[in-house]
Amino acid sequence: MVPVLAVDNEYLFGLIGKFLAREDAGPRHDYGHLGADPRAGILEPWRFPWVDAVYDPDDAAQAYNAVTFVHAAADRQPGHAVQVAGSFADLHTPLPLLPLADTHYATLTLRIRKGEVHHYRLRIDGVWQVDPINPQRMMLDNGVEWSRFFTWGATRRLVLERWESRLLQRLCSHILPFHTADGETFFKRVHDAQGPANRAPHAYRLDESAGAVNFIDKLLAREEAHHLVDYQICLELIDGLLRQRNPVIEPWKLPREVFAELYREMATASVAGWNYGRYGNPRYFLQLLRRHTLTGVFSHPRYGGNAMTLGWKYLEERYRDASGATLFDWGRAIEAPLGRNSAYRG
Amino acid sequence: MERFDVVIIGSGAGGAPIAARLARAGHSVLVLEKGPLLRTQEEHPLGVSDFKRDELFATGAEKRLTLSGVANHFDSFYSSHVEPDLNDEPHIYEGADGLDRATIEGYTAQVVGGGTQLYGAVSLRFSELDLRLGSFNAGRSDIVGDPNGDVRREARDWPIDYATLEPYYCEAERLVGINGTRANQGKPFSADHYQTPYAPNPISAYVATGMDALGLPRYRTPLAVITEDHAPSGRIVPAAAEAAKTGYVNRYGDPLGLKSNTWVALLRPLSGMANFTLRANCVVTHLEMAGDRISKVVYRDVAGRPVEVAGGLVVVACSAIESVRLLLLSGERDPAFAARLNGNGLLGRHFLTHCFGGAEAIMPGRFDKSVSLDSDWATDACASEDFIRSQGLWAGGAIYNNTSDQALPISLARTHGSQDMDTIWQTFVDDTALTGDALNAFFDANFGTRLSVSFMANQVPLFDNRIELHPSIRDKWGRRVAYIRKTWHSHDVHLMNVFAEQCRRILAFGGDGGKGQFPVSEFGAIYMAANARARIANHILGGMRFGSDAADSVLDPNCRAWQFDNLYVTDGAFMPTSGGANPTLTIQANALRVADQLLARL
Ligand SMILES: Cc1cc2nc3c(=O)[nH]c(=O)nc-3n(C[C@H](O)[C@H](O)[C@H](O)COP(=O)(O)OP(=O)(O)OC[C@H]3O[C@@H](n4cnc5c(N)ncnc54)[C@H](O)[C@@H]3O)c2cc1C
Repeated sequence: MVPVLAVDNEYLFGLIGKFLAREDAGPRHDYGHLGADPRAGILEPWRFPWVDAVYDPDDAAQAYNAVTFVHAAADRQPGHAVQVAGSFADLHTPLPLLPLADTHYATLTLRIRKGEVHHYRLRIDGVWQVDPINPQRMMLDNGVEWSRFFTWGATRRLVLERWESRLLQRLCSHILPFHTADGETFFKRVHDAQGPANRAPHAYRLDESAGAVNFIDKLLAREEAHHLVDYQICLELIDGLLRQRNPVIEPWKLPREVFAELYREMATASVAGWNYGRYGNPRYFLQLLRRHTLTGVFSHPRYGGNAMTLGWKYLEERYRDASGATLFDWGRAIEAPLGRNSAYRG
Repeated sequence: MERFDVVIIGSGAGGAPIAARLARAGHSVLVLEKGPLLRTQEEHPLGVSDFKRDELFATGAEKRLTLSGVANHFDSFYSSHVEPDLNDEPHIYEGADGLDRATIEGYTAQVVGGGTQLYGAVSLRFSELDLRLGSFNAGRSDIVGDPNGDVRREARDWPIDYATLEPYYCEAERLVGINGTRANQGKPFSADHYQTPYAPNPISAYVATGMDALGLPRYRTPLAVITEDHAPSGRIVPAAAEAAKTGYVNRYGDPLGLKSNTWVALLRPLSGMANFTLRANCVVTHLEMAGDRISKVVYRDVAGRPVEVAGGLVVVACSAIESVRLLLLSGERDPAFAARLNGNGLLGRHFLTHCFGGAEAIMPGRFDKSVSLDSDWATDACASEDFIRSQGLWAGGAIYNNTSDQALPISLARTHGSQDMDTIWQTFVDDTALTGDALNAFFDANFGTRLSVSFMANQVPLFDNRIELHPSIRDKWGRRVAYIRKTWHSHDVHLMNVFAEQCRRILAFGGDGGKGQFPVSEFGAIYMAANARARIANHILGGMRFGSDAADSVLDPNCRAWQFDNLYVTDGAFMPTSGGANPTLTIQANALRVADQLLARL
């Protein structure tokens, strides 16, 4: 049985007011589905179901999230029967969402392990359907569409194809400093020092982008889904371009200089052989990629990047005073088990 | 319809002190707050705070502007988790090119506690002179950059003097919970309620050296962060040494509640009281009147349903732009309301922020700036009458250093070359050469090495600087949004140049041990920015100034709307001049003063 967490109305109200409450349900928001899609009428629909931290004093690993499903009745009337069933529990035993005070919202907060990807459907007044709020959807093998969500630090690939993610790994790692001479030594040493047992709960493969690709995959699955199309087109163009320039070597195996040259060309927006008809501005993609990569590698690992806090550790180790003390003691502020702050719980 | 002795709209600096005072005196108080109640980890049902030490909370994922009719249509924007969304509730400003743009400027935070949840917590007092700039400038002929005599014509004295406000400053400092030092401040104190500040970040020693070399008396910047247990709010400081010094300060809510926002400092202690009600996620859409009284406060509840309540007294404290807007919208529905409130046409006029800017340099050595609060040292040297006259200025200001800015890796990148929310990420994104070795070099040069010194000074009030309702753009409730129309006066430009030079000198003398030759490449002020007309520095002031002449002000000396018996406005809107320091402590002190007036009539 997946445990139901008790939260109060104040908490639930806070998930709703800014995002869902409104008079004008017209398409004010663009997350890649502007127009008739009702999700364009919701602010940050990707926040749903809401994935939050939950503190357990008896669990040093803090291995769980609190996931809150929210249903907003389309007719704005209370009294609808809403249930959820998903891969986080027995699919045949739907769990009821409870009415939130006297409103037309119904909610349910479950304790679900971090690092997981799940699919679910809602039964609204007896009819099974995808979650009308959550933009994340996936098709199962039997052709049925489900809603999807993932918890903190999930590493399963969601929106990028395997070859895309392999090429992207090279693209990211040449943006990051780890592929400089200094960076490479650091990276190998810290990674090896982890030892297999300590390599984070959801063992990362040796990932030279320090999780940036996983971060981008999750970002494109959720907050910045509107940019998935940029990646799909540009990765295909870059793949084709590199194959054209280096017919015998797989693009993701090409030497560093090839990527440096590619970036130089993209920066000027004039890339020999680029299909401008399909994507007008290669410079824009480089800008996007740089912002995403940097954010991925230095943000909190809960977003799926900064694997094993490698990004933070890189700075911690690189910047030291004369006595050898670090000049970026990030662990001082951050919660355990990632950091070592004794008061803050994350 | 529910009735309360007092209905307060907005739970930030202007609203919360009144709620606390009146509820403690036994009156029934309702606080209506548009934003959610975000809690510290101790009070939260999940045992974790809604605020996190997470760089993506301060500036989140990219969104795109879908509003039509604005010049930045389809541009990217990024906001924190508690700022209003630009597509749902934009502020629109008129740029120098005459085109309208949506901006996040002019919002503080939409959450219980308002801007005080995110603020840097710099809690300076205004100077004695700040409250009498009308008389100080009367008859002067030495004011630089003021060919038309605007300064003399527009400067106003406040209807109260510093001596009247002073006991309330003391009370605010005691109730809110502030650390700092009093010695060397240029402002008279009758009591010292400061807690002991933490040791400054070592990088701030350059500022201390620079200020000393220039003979500028310095003091530890008062910060609304508790460093010791705080009896008035019942807060306890955890055992971990200097727990609040994390670099996650400015633009971050505090998961531990050590930052003295108005929720943890003033409202949370009222939680068990039957006569105190806080309704979060409730946006007030308009007020209605009967005769000379506000008879109804109408709001939308969390489910979007309209609800009406009545208050014997009604206090508006939505932060200045939104307060002006709320009253303009109320007037739009009822011409009699508009006529009563705005008979002299001053509603929304004399809108103010601060003249602000400063200097920044890469200092010798590297420091762990992530172990810091927002600021370490401040000086009032440039608020003295001597300094002001010697530079041909109309008013003075405060100078202090920033310690926590750019302390964390993502913030270093996204604020590289940009200081405001409208242009965040832009320079980094455009600087496409920063990859691989060049990115390494960027971090080597900038991480833990940059130090900035800022000024906050009085802006000249101008009739034409104003808040209106935008003719066409509406928010998600179908209400017309605020339209910001302002520019900088030529004297503001002179004043900012003078202050920026002072900031530069502090770093120049600080960086080389007092010789004054240290190179400071970046210094300047806000008027130089491409979006200078939008920029408000989170200090949202004026628009409903108080005064002793009903023909020349919107509010009376007690912040009551002149022609209404029971309508008060106590956020930053009441200020006739913006003061030479960050405004929040003054908003809080004035709110406590108004609360005493309200108590006398209840
Ligand atoms: C990042 C940042 C840093 C800052 N740093 C400093 C600093 O170091 N020092 C300093 O002095 N100041 C600082 N400020 C400014 C400070 O936050 C404001 O001066 C202060 O909060 C203003 O008080 P107020 O009462 O006018 O508005 P607020 O404190 O913003 O309160 C207004 C409240 O009203 C609510 N509201 C608005 N409209 C409605 C409505 N229609 N119905 C119901 N509720 C409504 C809002 O949600 C908000 O909670 C900073 C601000 C920010 C954002």
